Amino acid sequence: MAADWRSFKPVLIPDIPNLDDIDVYIKNGGYEALKKVLSDDWTTKSVIEEVKAANIRGRGGAGFNAGLKWSFMPEPDGGPRYLACNGDESEPGTFKDRMLFEYNPHLFIEGSLIAAYAMQCSTIYVYIRGEYIDWIKMMDSALNQAYEKGFIGENILGSGFSVNFYTHPGAGAYICGEETSMLESLEGKRGYPRVKPPFPAQKGLWGRPTTINNIETLANVPLVINNGADWFKNIGAENHPGPILYGISGHVNQPGVYELPSGVPVLDLIDEVAGGVKNGKKLKAVIPGGSSTPVLRADQLDGVSMDSNSLREAGSMLGTAGLVVIDEDTDMIDLLWRIAHFYHHESCGQCTPCRDGTGWLEKILLKIKNGEGEVKDLDLLLDLTTQMEGRTICALADAAAWPVRHTINRFRDEFEARCKKSVHAIA
Amino acid sequence: MKYEFTEDELKQIEVIKARYPEARPATLPVLWIAQNKFGHVEPDVQKLVARTLGLPEAHVHGVAEFYTQYYKKEQGKFVLDVCTCLSCQICGGYDILHYLEDKLGIKHGETTKDKMFTIQQVECLGACGYAPMMQITNGVYVNHLTREKVDKVIHGLKNGEMPEFEPMEMRKVKPQEN
Amino acid sequence: MPEVFIDGKSYEFEGQPKLLQFIMDEGLELPFFCYHPSMSIPANCRQCMVKVGQPVKDRDTGEYELDENGERVIRWFPKLQTACNFDVTDGLVVKTQESDELVERAQKDNLEFILINHPLDCPICDQAGECPLQIQTYKYGPEGSRFEVKKVHKPKRVQLGPRVILDAERCINCTRCTRFADEISKSYQLTITKRGDKNYPTTAPGETFDDPYSLNTVDLCPVGALTSADFRFRARVWEMNQTPSIDVSNGKGCNIDIWTRDNQVLRITPRHNPHVNDYWMPDVGREIYPLFNDNRISRPSVILDGENQIKSSWNNAIETFGEQMEAIKPEEILAIGSAHASVEENYLFAKFGNLLGISTPLFTPHIEPGSGDGFLITDDQAPNTNGVRLLGFEETDSKQLKTAVKSSNAKMILLLSDHLIDRGVLSADDLSGKYLVMFATNESETTKKADLLFPITCVVEHAASYVNVDGRIQRSFPAKETKYTNRRLDLEMTEGRLDRYGTKFDNWVTDENKVDCLPVWDLMALIGGRLGLDITYEGGSREVIKEVSQNMPAFSGVTYERMDDELGIELDTEHQTVKS
Repeated sequence: MAADWRSFKPVLIPDIPNLDDIDVYIKNGGYEALKKVLSDDWTTKSVIEEVKAANIRGRGGAGFNAGLKWSFMPEPDGGPRYLACNGDESEPGTFKDRMLFEYNPHLFIEGSLIAAYAMQCSTIYVYIRGEYIDWIKMMDSALNQAYEKGFIGENILGSGFSVNFYTHPGAGAYICGEETSMLESLEGKRGYPRVKPPFPAQKGLWGRPTTINNIETLANVPLVINNGADWFKNIGAENHPGPILYGISGHVNQPGVYELPSGVPVLDLIDEVAGGVKNGKKLKAVIPGGSSTPVLRADQLDGVSMDSNSLREAGSMLGTAGLVVIDEDTDMIDLLWRIAHFYHHESCGQCTPCRDGTGWLEKILLKIKNGEGEVKDLDLLLDLTTQMEGRTICALADAAAWPVRHTINRFRDEFEARCKKSVHAIA
Repeated sequence: MKYEFTEDELKQIEVIKARYPEARPATLPVLWIAQNKFGHVEPDVQKLVARTLGLPEAHVHGVAEFYTQYYKKEQGKFVLDVCTCLSCQICGGYDILHYLEDKLGIKHGETTKDKMFTIQQVECLGACGYAPMMQITNGVYVNHLTREKVDKVIHGLKNGEMPEFEPMEMRKVKPQEN
Repeated sequence: MPEVFIDGKSYEFEGQPKLLQFIMDEGLELPFFCYHPSMSIPANCRQCMVKVGQPVKDRDTGEYELDENGERVIRWFPKLQTACNFDVTDGLVVKTQESDELVERAQKDNLEFILINHPLDCPICDQAGECPLQIQTYKYGPEGSRFEVKKVHKPKRVQLGPRVILDAERCINCTRCTRFADEISKSYQLTITKRGDKNYPTTAPGETFDDPYSLNTVDLCPVGALTSADFRFRARVWEMNQTPSIDVSNGKGCNIDIWTRDNQVLRITPRHNPHVNDYWMPDVGREIYPLFNDNRISRPSVILDGENQIKSSWNNAIETFGEQMEAIKPEEILAIGSAHASVEENYLFAKFGNLLGISTPLFTPHIEPGSGDGFLITDDQAPNTNGVRLLGFEETDSKQLKTAVKSSNAKMILLLSDHLIDRGVLSADDLSGKYLVMFATNESETTKKADLLFPITCVVEHAASYVNVDGRIQRSFPAKETKYTNRRLDLEMTEGRLDRYGTKFDNWVTDENKVDCLPVWDLMALIGGRLGLDITYEGGSREVIKEVSQNMPAFSGVTYERMDDELGIELDTEHQTVKS
């Protein structure tokens, strides 16, 4: 790991007042990266190469190298091409992209423009969940400012490159954070994830090449262009470099969004960054990256840091780096039932295992929560998770299955204690 | 009741349509315009949207039914969307929900007799660090709810005062004491 | 040629088939629900799971890498894949439920999920007996249920449209119905509503599913969620007998199946023919089935005292016809053929006239301009207009026909199966003073005017050919017995379970529904006999079409065997001397 996280100065959302104002943003070096890539010194290919070298891993949860993703776009054929920015941000425990909309929208806009230029996209849409109406308005005004300054529109800065940039509101559907579901929603339809292949780079919006990136991912792009891939790679964890917007919630004294390098030890995040567990309680567990990432018991956290390798070894995932901190008084059965309820509520209903499996999981968990479950129900739950995982078009079924499997496995005693003593158990 | 868009709204809809290569992508934004205007997207409003965009009614209906933020029937003047999901759950979201239910004398999913309030229990609204919280009528987020804060908000709403937007700034790491 | 290995066996393939379709084309089996070869592939039911792997190639040499046993090294996909949307590629290795336990388990798991919210009401469900879910559960499903919590409840008995009823609880969300309305009929009247396990198909509120092709969704529905308002609760499918036929409600000639029980037609469904109707048919073609059961002419009738038709014996009717014919000159007889009757019937009708020196029959097509839709509903209201044209009948418009009928030269009119008064070509007065001999299947205003009325078999009682608007000749099979036929003896006929094993002690086994009528070829033999003509066809219509193919160049090479093997034969209508 590079320099200690304690000495890190925020770069995604630096501590500069009114940075959402384009003049302030420009005064602080804003849109220089865009000017750079539009100059003769850079080509679309070299932008992609630089971003690929930086290894910005997608901040929406999947962690795929953004530059590599861009390189999947086919050669331009004169037809429209799209960049779709994913601001759906609906995974429980995740609330970071709205910080960019509110405090540094132009960094995201600039990153999107650079991405659009690199991939020769003709239109950029930023899909923002409908509940974020206030943040949609903020984005709209930031976009207007950028249009007025000539950073968006026809022949940007005299480069010959033209692109339009619009917000598109969601209306309440977690599934629309899944990239192809988001494309369906952008096309004005029910948010059903698409079957892949074809992948969006081949057939995306309206059948045309499209790339989907998370908001925070794109916000990192100008930093890479300005400072170089090597600078970026030296921030934080080697396998998952760069600054991260950590959303910390649950039972901590100072919940909120923090910008720190990747790879901060989980326990440091809880104790030092977020001020420790609330009310002096003991830590029971942590969900490290949004509700779908497997919960880790407090005793599993020693030496675990917020990067994908370390979390994988510990038995979880980085996800969206939205940590939910859980104290000793928390009822894990209640917690898991509520997570299962969420996925049941949000399943789009397309694929059988997810449509019917999520409801079944929730109903069994409710039974257990009410003290009416039996130990065999726990094994049924585990069985169902394997029946759901990897059997559907998108990963919602996986996201629903993982917490059930891991929470039961990691807190089995607590679940069994809540179960009725079945006839078999007595014998 | 007959629902229509005004000339200005139709112009606004044309501007939205121009953002896309076809009319259908305007379905969600135009349903929003309709709901903001009429307070709901009951079937007759869905028909208006379909007619305005030249799309099949079944399509608009399917979309309206898929997305939870669209009110498929008329709601109270203020819809209180209380988050009870994960972080909000463990930080007292249900206490707030039940407190509101008791205070207004209705269960979630119901509307007060005076048509003033509807309470809904909703999924994660992306404000986990500010739990428990609620959103009012698809608008402002009210964070860090306590019973006292709920009392204040309800009192204000009854007097027509919508709570103000609460900026939730980036957290800074406090320097360690040692 | 590229090859694919399925369960250890090699199959060659051409083009770029999808795996599920390829497997079915090879006569192998995979369970599935949502896939349909004529619609988009949503891969949403997740039932056709298979294990697939690609052989590993050496990057430098391009050769397949081999293991220590000399077998190709296979890189398996980490997850099971749905076969429906999976491209078959050279060297692909596929394991289905036949050879892989995980695949077998996955299919079972999926059925378990489908069944948890599906009502177990097969005993009262119309789909039972022809239900893909029922069949595949038997074959691939779990033995019991581990589901001990509450099922999701949804609307039941919803009248989606005039002809289709929805039971949303039975729906498994395969989206075949909504895809049909969006992609095939393009009525866009259906959508899936709600989300997750509350999903079900519906119309927009207050809208009705009156798509002229709506009943195809009932056929498509792989469960009993969509049922026919008309057929609902009429019969268990295993009580019925299924006979291939041709839709005679318009000129398209959709290929259909006639479903009978106790010699009553209970429903009509489309039969796949890629050259004509693919898997579909219009609702009107299904709704005509009562024509085959009700209001049928049974036994000949004669008018004795100027007004009242009375039933007559066949002998008396034929004798009456003979006497009338002997009392009139051939040039005083006007023969009118019919686009509503088959090629064989029209041919014999013309041949009979020809032998007696009567001029070539006229006919007036039954066209209603603007009623067609460019898909499977045609302006042409008759199934055999082109057939009659190719037989060289004199085509007239309504006016010309009226004039011919009213002409004082025409003292007797021989009319084949065309209800000219009912369809407004003639008025009752036009026929006054004429001796009308009519050969028909159903009672009508026109048949009421017949001085002599011969009941003939309809399309579901005989094997006969019809040439559709595109010049394709296709044929029917007898599905209903008449008073003079017996399905155990007639090799053209099929037998359902009840037909074969039913006794008078069973429900639905009577002799009541056999109409007293004759096919035209048998009738002509009798009439011919009376008039001293030899018009006998021992082999029935099969022999008639043989003669047609020999005598009429347009029909050259046409046989029932070819029609059966080739799903009909496209005739060269353009180069024949046909009046348009």
